[in-house]
Amino acid sequence: MNTPNEPSDYMLLFRGPHWDRGLSPEELRQTLDRVMAWFEGLKDQGKVKAGQPLGPESRMVSGRNGRTVADGPFAESKEAVGGFLQIEANSLDEAVAIAKTFPPLDYGITVEVRPVLEECPCFKRAKEQLALATA
Amino acid sequence: MNTPQSDYMLLFRGTNWDKELSPEQLQKVVSDWAAWFERLTKQGKALSGHPLQNEGKIVSGKKGRTIADGPFAESKEAVGGYFYLRVADENEALEIARECPGLEYGAIVEVRPVAEMCTVRARAMEASARSQQLAGATA
Repeated sequence: MNTPNEPSDYMLLFRGPHWDRGLSPEELRQTLDRVMAWFEGLKDQGKVKAGQPLGPESRMVSGRNGRTVADGPFAESKEAVGGFLQIEANSLDEAVAIAKTFPPLDYGITVEVRPVLEECPCFKRAKEQLALATA
Repeated sequence: MNTPQSDYMLLFRGTNWDKELSPEQLQKVVSDWAAWFERLTKQGKALSGHPLQNEGKIVSGKKGRTIADGPFAESKEAVGGYFYLRVADENEALEIARECPGLEYGAIVEVRPVAEMCTVRARAMEASARSQQLAGATA
């Protein structure tokens, strides 16, 4: 479908924060420069809403009243989120096209692209269920 | 007096914990969650926060040649949303995480410090500082 969409926000989650392993200092420096240029380019186009790297420390809170706090198992994992970038794009396809140009993809990182919502899908479900119940 | 502040990200994991709830339970957790976020926002502790849609893509491979679908729905691990917090320290971030209304139904909150610099760049700078020191020592 080619209908132009209203711009909306997309979250890019960068997974696998150890993509630099095995790179020579020169390759690494060049890639980091490309990352910076990539980011600046998106900023100049007004597409960046927010974005930060995350530190390696991770705590997982779970259970009733958060009684369990465990160290995240993710620091060394390929799944670990190393940072995020919230961008504005006209469609999921455009957001994916932007994600595809992220330079560290060449070294094994993965980028998760997710539409940002104003309302939680379970909020919506709750409303629908209640509407049904009271209908 | 300036209280030191640092930024934390809460990643809400699990996109299926609400499936078994009754409409009343779901309604309660949903309004508790909204009230929780509103309070944190008023206190200046939550700077932003959003749910993420269960659809999405995973881009990987050289030049992003592989595009895969989720799975983001019905998953225990998938990130369903996030809060961006500005708090005093990790303890305060953990305290807030413990208040998450989804916890008693199986949601998991991942608490992560926001960093100034990505860990890869930090490692690269350390390595280059070390090699300069080495060069200085042998000069």
